[in-house]
Amino acid sequence: MSRVTFENVGKKYGKLWALREFSARFEPGETVSVIGPNGSGKTTMIKCLLGLVRSSTGTITVNGEHVGPDPEYRHHVGHMPQISRFPNELKIGQLIDLMDDIRGSNKGRSEGALVKELGVVDMMDKRLGTLSGGQRQKVSAVHAFRYSPSVLVLDEPTAGLDPLSSQIVLQAVRNIKREGCTVLITSHLMEEVEALADRVAYLQDGTLRFLLPPEDLLAVTGEKRLSKAIPAMLTTKTAAHVESL
Amino acid sequence: MWKVYKYTLIDLARNKFVLGWTLLLLAISLGLFQLEDQPVKAMLSLSQVLLALVPLVASVFTIVYLYDAMEFTELLAVQPLRRSKILGGQMAALGTALVLGALVGTGIPLMLFLPGGASLTLILACVMLTLVFVAIGSLIAIKNREKARGVGLGLVVWFLFVLVYDAVLLWVMFAFSDYPIEPWIVPLAALDPIDLGRIMVLLKVDLAAMMGYSGAVYEKFFGNVRGILVALLALGAWVALPSAFAFRAFRRKDL
Amino acid sequence: MKNWMRLCAVAFLLCTVVGLSAATWTVNASGKVKKLAPVLASAQAGDTVRVLAGTYAEGTLTIDRPLTLIGIGRPVIDGAGGDGNVLTITASDVTVQGFMITGTKVSNMNDNAGIEVEKADNVKLTDNVMEHCFFAFHFANSRNPTVIGNTVNGDPEQSETSRANGIHLWHCSGATIEDNEVQNHRDGIYFEFVTDSHVRRNKSLNNSRYGLHFMFSHRDTYSDNLFQDNGAGVAVMFSKNVDMSRNRFIRNRGASSYGILLKEINDVKIDSNIFIDNTTALLVDGCNRGEIRGNIFQGNGWALRLFANATECHFTANSFTGNTFDMSTNGNPVFNSFSGNYWDRYQGYDLDHNGVGDVPFRPLSLFAMVNERMPYAVVLSRSLLTQLLDQAERLVPSMTPEGLEDDKPLMKSPHVTRNL
Repeated sequence: MSRVTFENVGKKYGKLWALREFSARFEPGETVSVIGPNGSGKTTMIKCLLGLVRSSTGTITVNGEHVGPDPEYRHHVGHMPQISRFPNELKIGQLIDLMDDIRGSNKGRSEGALVKELGVVDMMDKRLGTLSGGQRQKVSAVHAFRYSPSVLVLDEPTAGLDPLSSQIVLQAVRNIKREGCTVLITSHLMEEVEALADRVAYLQDGTLRFLLPPEDLLAVTGEKRLSKAIPAMLTTKTAAHVESL
Repeated sequence: MWKVYKYTLIDLARNKFVLGWTLLLLAISLGLFQLEDQPVKAMLSLSQVLLALVPLVASVFTIVYLYDAMEFTELLAVQPLRRSKILGGQMAALGTALVLGALVGTGIPLMLFLPGGASLTLILACVMLTLVFVAIGSLIAIKNREKARGVGLGLVVWFLFVLVYDAVLLWVMFAFSDYPIEPWIVPLAALDPIDLGRIMVLLKVDLAAMMGYSGAVYEKFFGNVRGILVALLALGAWVALPSAFAFRAFRRKDL
Repeated sequence: MKNWMRLCAVAFLLCTVVGLSAATWTVNASGKVKKLAPVLASAQAGDTVRVLAGTYAEGTLTIDRPLTLIGIGRPVIDGAGGDGNVLTITASDVTVQGFMITGTKVSNMNDNAGIEVEKADNVKLTDNVMEHCFFAFHFANSRNPTVIGNTVNGDPEQSETSRANGIHLWHCSGATIEDNEVQNHRDGIYFEFVTDSHVRRNKSLNNSRYGLHFMFSHRDTYSDNLFQDNGAGVAVMFSKNVDMSRNRFIRNRGASSYGILLKEINDVKIDSNIFIDNTTALLVDGCNRGEIRGNIFQGNGWALRLFANATECHFTANSFTGNTFDMSTNGNPVFNSFSGNYWDRYQGYDLDHNGVGDVPFRPLSLFAMVNERMPYAVVLSRSLLTQLLDQAERLVPSMTPEGLEDDKPLMKSPHVTRNL
């Protein structure tokens, strides 16, 4: 059984389709890079999966559970947003307590993935309003990994993080993937994509253009680097070739 | 819901605006009671200030706070939590914080300088109006994506209720003074929550005058506590209705 | 010896005089003389009848000669089964003291009363308890009646139409009504054609119509009384030379309820009274030469409604505080004056610190005028809208009658501030 399925998912804002007829299956232990220009629909697709946005058409399942009003499926989902802001006057520790409370987790504040590695353990009494962007990203990363998700959605996870912390987060992605977690990751950094992705999903104008392993991309286009192969894929000739695959 | 409530309240407890609002109320209340040699007169002046200011602050603060908490709301929305529990927790926390601010800022001075039914009624009216405008503010914040637009709308709604509606009502009275409109005046006034709060206070401090008019129509209604209870109930509806719309909108909202 | 003889003679004379003109009878429900009626029939003018505790239900009793009836241990006279009255007094110089009287008959035809006094002068009724009577005391065509220290309890269960007045005087003069407490009647105290009388220190409460109601009654004074929670308050009509001082008018509420309603009155003095929580504290409708000074008007709906037909009413040294409206009028009551009153709405200043504001105060607000036309506009009082209207009118007077102002508004209340 696939971990995540999209069936004909579409989302219309007003008259504009931000995402249309999106169908895909994501398997356990698979890491998928979702890429595409701004406004391509990748954020909409992710938000549909997370339940932030209600899709206009189609169905999504996670572990066989329908994504709908019932929030239970989100017990298995971790999310690290691109930008995060928290209530200014809460302390990091309190935020972690709140999340533990919601998730029904009773591990201690300083236990769990990334808390120590990212140095969050030393900031428990810092107020969230006083954090820098990078520090907020670290807090987000802690939340995303904390509850052993079977689906992990990372939105530009390394943007704003220092190089060391980026490495720690990426290592965590590799670890959790080994445990069978499905990871969806958006990133502008092709090296990151190349290093992590089992498949690459490319969206444009709300439509999925292709969803292929990096090796196939390189093979089809005859390029050596993904950063070259992707633009090459988008020429009509190759696109037609993919269709026929 | 109580998890969200608890931590939102912890955040609000240290919110400088809530603190400032409490202190402002305290300053106004104490100032008026110091200034006037008659506590009743101070209470009447205070009631006028509060009936205008409480709705304004409650709705604008709610709107601003909910916009600023948008990312946090999203963080909560991807947790295994129902949407209604998120909004419920946030609204309850906002209501609690602002009500506590009003209780400390005006409740304590009122009960200190003029203990009695009139003060209690004013406090009750302030509490209810706070809740009403937290509900209205929430609805506005959820329905509008843009903060500036939301705040603007909040101001417009406040202005409508605090002044424009009464002007229209007065115009209606003039225009239809040849018709038997007497029985309709109070129900019409009940369509404005600020008027309801004001009538609650009137029923306590100006009952003698109200009886002059009510003698014919509302004697039973005004003559006892029932009038205040009915006003409270109507204010309760003013909390429930915008809240219900807010919940409905939030459940369907694309974050 | 001569002296001793003279003393004996005087003593004998005294004894006979006293014995002849003032025998004392004793009636005791559980003694030898059980009935009152035979004693009242046999007693001589000037006799005293002592009535011991017990119930005397003998129908209507009549006192037709000058007697003094004294109840000891509050005996009950129950008139049930009589002609409707309990006690009928037709002789002058009768005193009735210390009884409880009950058992009148409700009637639309007759003025049945606990004690009816008809064409009898100098009757004294003191310290009686009148329980659930139709009329309690009913005087007609009598001079110098004295009613002191009685407790008059009407039946609170009776509807307005089956109630009559507590203390009712018709065509009387020189009356003294003092220290009585009247409740749950139609009018507490009712005067019609009653002159040169005093009403002092009475309490008139919870009566369904007026606490005090008088018409065509001249040269009367009313002082130190309490009129509270009466359906329509106090009405004073068609009378001259009325003096009302130090009375309290409290919580008389309703569409046509007044602390005092002055209707067609000449030469009235209203001095040092207290008006609290009345729908209308003082309504002046047709009044010539009124002196209204030193009164406290607090927390009333309308402190003063001065109709245009009032002339030469002068308001001085009164305090107006916490009223919904300080004043209203149906026209332009221009022939009256306000000077040196305290108005809590006054916003002027006193640069020379003489205690008198430097700019006049206009007691008639625009909203009060609006309200005069549309009483239901009262629901808008104390709203931001009416505040703005009144402020605008105060800055640029255009609607309220000119000249209707207090030229010397006081900066501080002339009354000691207390918690009323």
